[in-house]
Amino acid sequence: MAVERTEELVLNMGPQHPSMHGVFRMVVHLEGEVVTKIDPKIGYLHRGIEKLAESRTYPQFIPYTDRLDYLSSPHNNLAYVLAVEKLMGVEIPERAEYLRVIFAELARIASHQVMIGSTALDIAGWTAWSYCFRDRERILDMYEMTAGSRLTVNNMRIGGISNDPPPGFWDALKSFLDDIPEMIEEYYGIFFGNEITMGRMKSVGILPKELAENLSITGPVIRSSGVNYDVRKADPYGIYDRFDFDVPVLHGCDSYDRTLIRLLEIKESAKIIKQAMRDIPEGPVMAKIPKVIKPPVGEVYHRVENPKGELGFYIVSDGTTKPARLHIKSPTFVNMQMLPLISLGWKIQDVIAIFATIDAVLGEVDK
Amino acid sequence: MENKELLRKRVDELASKVNGEVEEILGMLVLKVKGPYALEALTTAKSFTDIPCDFLHDLTAVDKIDHFEVVYQLTSWKGPQKLRIKAVVDRENPVIDSATRLWQGANYMEREAYDMFGIQFKGHPNLKRIYLWDDFEGYPLRKDYVTETAEQRSVVFKLPAE
Amino acid sequence: MDTLNNLFLIIAAAIRGLFADPHSVWADITMDVVAFLAVIIIIVLAALVLILLERKVAGWTSQRPGPNRLGPRGWFQTIADALKLMGKEDVTPANADRLIFKVAPMIMFSLPLMTLAVIPYGKGMSPIDLDLGIFYFLAISALSTLALLMAGWGSNNKYSLLGGMRAVAQMISYEIPLIFSLLGVVMLTESLSLTKIVEAQGVVPFIVLQPLAFVIYIIAGIAEVNRAPFDLVEADQEVVAGPFTEYTGLRWGLFFLGEYGNMTAVSALAATVFLGGWQGPAILPGWIWFWLKTGLVIFFMMWVRWTFPRMRIDHLMHFAWKWLLPLSILNILLTGLGIYIYQLIPRIGG
Repeated sequence: MAVERTEELVLNMGPQHPSMHGVFRMVVHLEGEVVTKIDPKIGYLHRGIEKLAESRTYPQFIPYTDRLDYLSSPHNNLAYVLAVEKLMGVEIPERAEYLRVIFAELARIASHQVMIGSTALDIAGWTAWSYCFRDRERILDMYEMTAGSRLTVNNMRIGGISNDPPPGFWDALKSFLDDIPEMIEEYYGIFFGNEITMGRMKSVGILPKELAENLSITGPVIRSSGVNYDVRKADPYGIYDRFDFDVPVLHGCDSYDRTLIRLLEIKESAKIIKQAMRDIPEGPVMAKIPKVIKPPVGEVYHRVENPKGELGFYIVSDGTTKPARLHIKSPTFVNMQMLPLISLGWKIQDVIAIFATIDAVLGEVDK
Repeated sequence: MENKELLRKRVDELASKVNGEVEEILGMLVLKVKGPYALEALTTAKSFTDIPCDFLHDLTAVDKIDHFEVVYQLTSWKGPQKLRIKAVVDRENPVIDSATRLWQGANYMEREAYDMFGIQFKGHPNLKRIYLWDDFEGYPLRKDYVTETAEQRSVVFKLPAE
Repeated sequence: MDTLNNLFLIIAAAIRGLFADPHSVWADITMDVVAFLAVIIIIVLAALVLILLERKVAGWTSQRPGPNRLGPRGWFQTIADALKLMGKEDVTPANADRLIFKVAPMIMFSLPLMTLAVIPYGKGMSPIDLDLGIFYFLAISALSTLALLMAGWGSNNKYSLLGGMRAVAQMISYEIPLIFSLLGVVMLTESLSLTKIVEAQGVVPFIVLQPLAFVIYIIAGIAEVNRAPFDLVEADQEVVAGPFTEYTGLRWGLFFLGEYGNMTAVSALAATVFLGGWQGPAILPGWIWFWLKTGLVIFFMMWVRWTFPRMRIDHLMHFAWKWLLPLSILNILLTGLGIYIYQLIPRIGG
């Protein structure tokens, strides 16, 4: 009797592949359609931002941070300027603090909308994708009103924020916030509540709590594995301790919960922005800071809760105008480690769904 | 505040055990140890009684011209305690124990440090370059790495003369 | 009205009238060629209209305008796309199985050509009136699996191969409920001829008598033509268009035509078997009724496609084998029981 043998199929997905969210590449070993091994390859978008930082002055580096996680650029600006301010010991005006919170939370909503939309798209929910991007457009318009650019906002400065938003901004923001409950209902109706979506994502790609903690996973991914950890609560920065908001925690550990938690976070972000709008004082938006920024010798690690997880900047200063070393701890770079571990035994289309729920932005992964 | 004092106490105990120095930089406790003691320090810090620093949230390296420092940022999933451990590594022979046996999550971060600084992590399951291609020469984030000038770079793209 | 109703019959008679003996062999051959050309025109026209409609429907469901630049409201967009496709280079991958690679799109295109030829578009208006219409239709449409597998294998591309394998698994599974769902109607009419089936629906369309079969047919039909939520074969997010990955230009265009042709054929069969075909109130000619009903089914398919995400492959198989198949057998059972009771009634009364 002849022995039948099947050959392992090695499939190279990416860097050009429709659902690789940029230029991620993974080598997938398949047994039929079942994944037996995944070997993620990154670095196709590596621009050496950490090296570049060493030859740029502190303010010059702010635009580079926009290019990290380009879906929520205000957050990267925020993390960087907060780190530099901590190093220099600068106090910034109240109004700027509130504006920073508003922009950061707007960015969180925009980023989560992209995440929900692109996850939907990765399982072929075209309409959900287009709904999410339709609503995100309104946030981009608000960015444009204030900073002039739609994606790489770059409106945070060391010592405050570049400029006060124009009057039209507040009306747009208010009408956007009023529409958020309706948007959430719509996303739920078209995507989350769908039987096929649930079948695709429920109990797929289980990330157990212990594994998640051991892997240093952060952000919505770990919060959907039952760990209540949010830097805004655990290690408050800026004025986040003044706001009343909840951190949604889900216990499903699966792809569905990893997506659903972003929907819940949109709600909480809207709550924060509403409070910030109510409390924001009048006043200047820039502190008086020296023309040439020369932080004292020292080092600082500052982290913020980015929409994808914990974003940290580690800056070592040697007392000159340029950092001696700048390290970026990007959340999705670390979160990416879960992909080869939790997607074994799933089919190729489930791996796509699992990868989508990490919400990787390759600009940030590759730095 | 109590938390901080307790942490200080534990870190001081640890420092005397591993010949380390403790200092406070911008409100953050920093423990500086010699490379070979790093893994012991991390293991102890991970299981501090009452205030375990069990969340490794960043790992990187810094080039200090005459030596390298591998920097571990620790905190906890439960409490506010924060600790930074710096391990001094010899520049000529940069070898240190891998933290992957404590935290699987150190995997990529150590690969990145290897890629950028050439620090060898002993016991790492898959120590390969992560960003750059495998036959890349040199370690770009070292201070003595020579960045090629624009003229050098343009040689590659120059068209053959007519 | 009568003229309009029989417009195509009159044209056919006129062509036949050109011959000295209207029933000579030459006249028959000419009529067959005319019918063949007519079916090609139907497919091409359908594809032209459907591609635009698809994009417009996609736009409406996702709240955006869709194509709106070329011509009035973007109506000429498909023509521009078709012209662009014709201008593309025809690339054959270096290691492809050349013969299989090149034949696959032709097979794909020829299938709707063969299936659409037996559909009665109006009273007495089947291009070819077969006694075994349904049987023929199903046998031919099942062959599209072969075309997809050939394309998947011949391309020598891993994505294509995965897509081709998915095609086989999926289409064979859904073939069975599809056939079984039509059996109920066949039992009612005691005929496999599509013309007779339409004529039997003069009073009530069979959707009223066979609602379950209709639902099964539509679901299995969508799976049969590989449209979302059953489009695993060409899932662009996973296997990057599957069997079509390596095709360019006109060959890909043939696949596209074939796909839309298949969709038209499946919808046309739904309209014929369940919705009463050309039967309808005499306010409109029969063939317009037919196309309205077909269009309705097509619109439903598009609506579903742009609303639902794609199914998981194991759920897809479970759905076919554990739900659709038992339900379609149940439908046959119920139909048989119904017919038996219906035949009993006069005997009890008498």
